[in-house]
This record gives sequence, C-alpha cells and structure tokens, in this order.
Amino acid sequence: MRKLTSLSFVVLVGLSAGALAANLTITQKGRVFSVESVIIKKGEALTFANDDSVPHNIISTSKGNEFNLGSQPPGAATDVTFKEAGEAQIVCAIHPRMRMTVKITD
Amino acid sequence: MPPSGFIRSALLGPAVAATLGLIGFANLSFAAAIVGEMRRTDPSPKAAVAINAMKPEYRRPPSIPFPKENPYTPEKASLGKKLYFDTRISVTSAQSCASCHSPGFGWGDGLAVGVGHGMAKLGRHSPTIVNAAWGAIFMWDGRLANLEEQALGPIQSPGEMNMPIEKLMERLATIAEYKPLFVTAFPGTGLSPNTLAQAISTYERTVVSEQAPFDLWIEGNEQVISDEAKRGFVIFNTKAQCSSCHEGWNFTNDGFQDIGLPSADVGRGQFLPDIIKMKHAFKTPGLREIARRGPYMHDGSIATLEQVVEHYDHGGVDRPSRSDLVKPLGLTAQEKSELVAFLKTLTSNLDPTTVPVLPR
Repeated sequence: MRKLTSLSFVVLVGLSAGALAANLTITQKGRVFSVESVIIKKGEALTFANDDSVPHNIISTSKGNEFNLGSQPPGAATDVTFKEAGEAQIVCAIHPRMRMTVKITD
Repeated sequence: MPPSGFIRSALLGPAVAATLGLIGFANLSFAAAIVGEMRRTDPSPKAAVAINAMKPEYRRPPSIPFPKENPYTPEKASLGKKLYFDTRISVTSAQSCASCHSPGFGWGDGLAVGVGHGMAKLGRHSPTIVNAAWGAIFMWDGRLANLEEQALGPIQSPGEMNMPIEKLMERLATIAEYKPLFVTAFPGTGLSPNTLAQAISTYERTVVSEQAPFDLWIEGNEQVISDEAKRGFVIFNTKAQCSSCHEGWNFTNDGFQDIGLPSADVGRGQFLPDIIKMKHAFKTPGLREIARRGPYMHDGSIATLEQVVEHYDHGGVDRPSRSDLVKPLGLTAQEKSELVAFLKTLTSNLDPTTVPVLPR
C-alpha cells in the first residue's frame, strides 16, 4: 500500500556508499513510485532508485525544485536535494502513469 | 494530426499543461534542485520466468473503466455513437470521427497518415480507438490528458475537421432530433461542448477488442494457438523485450519512446524539449487487433508486421534520444516468424458495427 510518508519517521534504507545517511529511497518497480506523497524538510534529499526492469527518466518542473535525472537504467540510484519549500510534482517523462508529490517544509 | 492547430486553441492550451502535470513545463530549465551523481545499487539478477508465470499479467479486465466525472449511461453511449458517425460535426459536413477511426479498419483508417480538412494529408497515422477506455494519456505526443479532451481536439483542429466549437453548437441546435437526445442523456444540461465530449468519449470507451485466441490460451486452452505463436509469446517477453513497453492485457503502458524511426517529427519532444529521451518519442500503442491495423508506426512508414519486427531487430537510427530498450536484437529468422505468429493471435472476431440512423 502506497502512502504518505514523512522522512522524520523513516529509517534509513541502505544503499551503496555515498548515499546520505537519512535519505528516504523512492523506488520505481513495476512503473510505480513506492509512495504517492512524501514530506521532507528544505535542504533534505530523496534517493530515486530504479529497481525496475526498464529505464526511467524522473523529472520535476515545479518552481524552485526543478530537476531532470535523465535516463536512469535499472540498478541506478540518484540523490536529489530539494531547496525550496512548497510542493514538487515528480513524474517519469517516459511513463505518464508514474506520478508522486514531494511536500517540502521550512 | 499536426499539433499546430491545438497550440492555437485556447480551449486546449491548458490541457497540454495538464497532461504534463505542471504549468509552463516546456519553458523551465532544470537547475534548482541539487542532483547527485548517478550510482549503481545492487541489481539483483533476473531469474528466468516460466511461461505460465507470465500469463497472469495478460488476463483481460472484467469490466470497462469509466471515469467518475463521466460515468456510463446507455443514453450517453447511444448519443455518442450517433455523434461519432455524424459527418455534420466537421465544417464541411464530409468527415466524422469514423472517417479516420473506422470499424472497418480496426478503428483506424488503413492509411499511412490521416486525411484531414480539404483532403490534405496529416502528419501522423490515425491511431485506433480500440481499448481507449484504458488510456492514460492521448494523442501520439500525449498532448491531451483524457478522452473527453481528445474527443473535442480533432473536431476543432484546423487541419482535421476544422469546426469551431461555437459553430458546431449552433449547427447541432438546428438538428431537431438531437435536442431530446441531449436532454435525456444530460438532464438539466443538454447540449454543450462538455456534454458533446462526454457523449462521444462514453461511446468510444465501449469500443473494446473482443476475446481473441490469445485470451483463450491465457485462460488455459492450449489448443487454440499454435506452438509457433507460443514460442513467439516467450520471445516477446524475453529476448525481444517487446513487453517492456507493450505490457499488460492491452499491450501498452502508454509510455513514450523513440524507437529509431528516421522521421524528423520530434513527437513528445515538442512539449519536453529539455529531455533528450523525449525527442522523436511517441506513445506506445496497444497491440490488440494489430494484424488489422497496418500500416504501422506513428508515421505509417512500415507496411507489414514482418517489417515491423525487422525494424526492431535492426534497432533503427542510433541517436541519443533512442530508447535504451531499442537496440539490435539478433533475432533468428525463425524467432521473427514466431513473433509475427504470436501477434496474429491478438486478432479477435469483432462483431460487425451497425451504423446508427442519424438525427435530422
């Protein structure tokens, strides 16, 4: 069951060396984000990990938190640090059913 | 279906942004959030999947999904069918929805590219409307968010039916027998652009591929398709990787991919110019009734299923935007033949479609 997740209650998901200690990992298996919505604090990062069998291209164009991860192959992970408070819509440019929201608090 | 007509449409402009989920999408650069370096995690090796384990993903759904904003009623579907087949919704009274999306051609038109206003050729192949009820996004380039928006798009597009929506409302209001049909289908509302779109899209959602030999095989009848086709199903899901995009019972995840066709059309890239993988990317079509739907691809540039398989085996134009999933496959002649045999099992015995008597 996908659900609203607050970073403050999330225990670390271990990834390879280099992942920030407190990052929440968003996975993408089956062309679905592992959560529909997440709350983090400004300056905190999320890890987008492609545990799916196909490439994804995760992006946001929400003002102040724009990013484009490019083509992310299966087995790849990338951290994204959100700088502006507000709400960022995250989508996969390739797979239009993949959508989630990041709420960034001050 | 040239997109220019839609861009000019005030009605559809916001819809483009809606399909992207964001406003002003195409004009933003990607710089504000901090992106770390991509790294490898632990890609667990994929275990070989047995053929019977693949089958459940392909079971037909039990019912047609209708949106809560536009639920099914028989009155709406009946009215929508009349509108779908009525040539008077085009400015010339010469084209209906069925002109390009005809039941006689698997709900397409059998042409390489569509023919629009003034018999001018359009830029893209007319897609089928079969199983549109399950669509996540519409048009080859995904510029429309739902079937209701899609229903109004070609009507107003100058290159297609070229009918201003206000003029269409006036014309339909002069056809006396339409009025009670709208009143019955939409009590308290009657004729409006919104109800017109709701009626047509409700009818379109009822156009569903019937049970094909493939479905009977999925349900357990081993005799109904050939061993060659069964082997093709396995190749489809493994070596050829077709199911990475053509997935599920309708054989599409509605994703956007550049499959390496030598076409100048940038497709989805028009709306996402900063995303390299969207250049020349088009929506993945479903494969139901595919043997009836040639010629193939967004530009109708490939005549036969055999040639389609050859294209994927070759991998097409190798360029930065090409999907990472599209690359030379090394299929044998037998494997190619098996793939085509499998694709032909997706053809159902569609019931003949009766053309409705139209209001006067």
